[in-house]
Amino acid sequence: MVTNSGTAAGDGRFRPLNEPSPAAVEATPRGAPKAMLWRGSYQRVVAVHDTWRIDDEWWRDEIARRYFVVELESGRRVTIFHDLVRDLWYQQTYEAPKAAAPMGRKRAG
Amino acid sequence: MKVACLLVADFLVALARRDDTSLRGRPVIIGGSPEEHAAVVACSPEAVAAGVGIGTTLRRALALCPKAVFLPHREAVATEAAGALLDLLRLYSPAVEAVSPGHAHLDIRGLAEMAHMEDEAYLRDLQESAVNATGLPLSLAAAETVFAAHAAATVRAQGAVLVHEGQARAFLSRLPVEVLPVSPVIHQRLRLFGLERLGQVAELTLSAMQAQFGRDGARAWELANGRDDARIVPKPEEVRISEELDLPAPAALSEPLIAGTRALLQRALERGELKGHSLRRLDWRLGLESGEQLTRRCVFREPTDDPARMLFALQPKIERLQLPAAAVSVGVTLSGLCSEYGHQANLWQVGPRRYKELLEAVEQLNARVGGPQVFRIVEVQGWSRIPERQLGMVAFGP
Repeated sequence: MVTNSGTAAGDGRFRPLNEPSPAAVEATPRGAPKAMLWRGSYQRVVAVHDTWRIDDEWWRDEIARRYFVVELESGRRVTIFHDLVRDLWYQQTYEAPKAAAPMGRKRAG
Repeated sequence: MKVACLLVADFLVALARRDDTSLRGRPVIIGGSPEEHAAVVACSPEAVAAGVGIGTTLRRALALCPKAVFLPHREAVATEAAGALLDLLRLYSPAVEAVSPGHAHLDIRGLAEMAHMEDEAYLRDLQESAVNATGLPLSLAAAETVFAAHAAATVRAQGAVLVHEGQARAFLSRLPVEVLPVSPVIHQRLRLFGLERLGQVAELTLSAMQAQFGRDGARAWELANGRDDARIVPKPEEVRISEELDLPAPAALSEPLIAGTRALLQRALERGELKGHSLRRLDWRLGLESGEQLTRRCVFREPTDDPARMLFALQPKIERLQLPAAAVSVGVTLSGLCSEYGHQANLWQVGPRRYKELLEAVEQLNARVGGPQVFRIVEVQGWSRIPERQLGMVAFGP
């Protein structure tokens, strides 16, 4: 039997982390990014260091994304993706932060 | 060229061979005599070839390499020699980073032009000066990035080598994967994958390396491709405050020594350099009539600027002393300067009683602001390939 904690469910008690944020990206006809709006000005993409594709959940709200790790002309590296379902571009850190250790357990090291 | 790496391979062994030339070409193991219950601190390549490694017990080292010469680890001599090498490098470069004894990185941007020399000639001159001053076999390499310079110095046993601008990637591609600053397990796994040279690693995709080796794999891939944003971080010069006191009369009892030490500590802590700082370390010296010197070191569990607390830690050591001769002088050196110390408890690792108080405080904060304010990061779907599904923040509470 689970005791009632008396705490209301929902009500902002859960927040997702690392949600994608919309990005303004100019792409070539073949879909590769060539410029990106970064802090108020368009910066040329000087290199695409890596690219991969994620296709998932086609049975409900389909997800199809093409990720690019790009280097802008200022030298900054940014991970962006093209949402192939909605034809929109987003910026997102692919390497998410680490989860906290469970309460009461000391971290190793 | 921007960065140089100076490396004395097997520094402790090189020191021993410098001081005793008969050791050259013979297997050398440093750590003590084989009868001692201790481990190998350093060993020569000949001993490594016989299977000895750092951390091997000395007894096992003797079994593996019976012809080896076993030497004690003269830590003070090694520290002094490493310090002398760094002092020499500081004459050449304003930014020198000590990586380990006998291994340093230095910023050499623009120094060759200032000396009106070609890059190669400057580097050779620097290497020869270091060899003449120290008598140690050392390699010196210069490149545009720290890793390229370090890798070049590692593969070159002696002499100077310059990796020209724009050629780092080509130069690195020929080097073995062991030069990568990752764990030996990853070196081994790279070999098992058939990846023996950095050029092979560079040809892979970043995602493939990241998938196999995680963060270390991504770093290795970037380094193999000549990308390295590491900067030289010179160690700031340590502030050391010393005070000496000649005792009015030779003393053999602890009371006058403690009184003298108290006066010294008060005098040292009033010095302007220590205002607003705490200290971690206290070195105490006692000069004896016989000319000998006794030293004791106190490392405080928590940094302090309170002379009473310092004396409280030191007093038992003074009282336990059995002096072979009367003391004529006392000295203290304070070091390990840090900012004023406050106690910061870990919010999440508190006992059950404090945890209840913490919950109350969080609930009070939530009630005041009107919504959850303190969150914990939790794994939601750690296996998901979709980044925003992997982790979430849950309101902290019961």
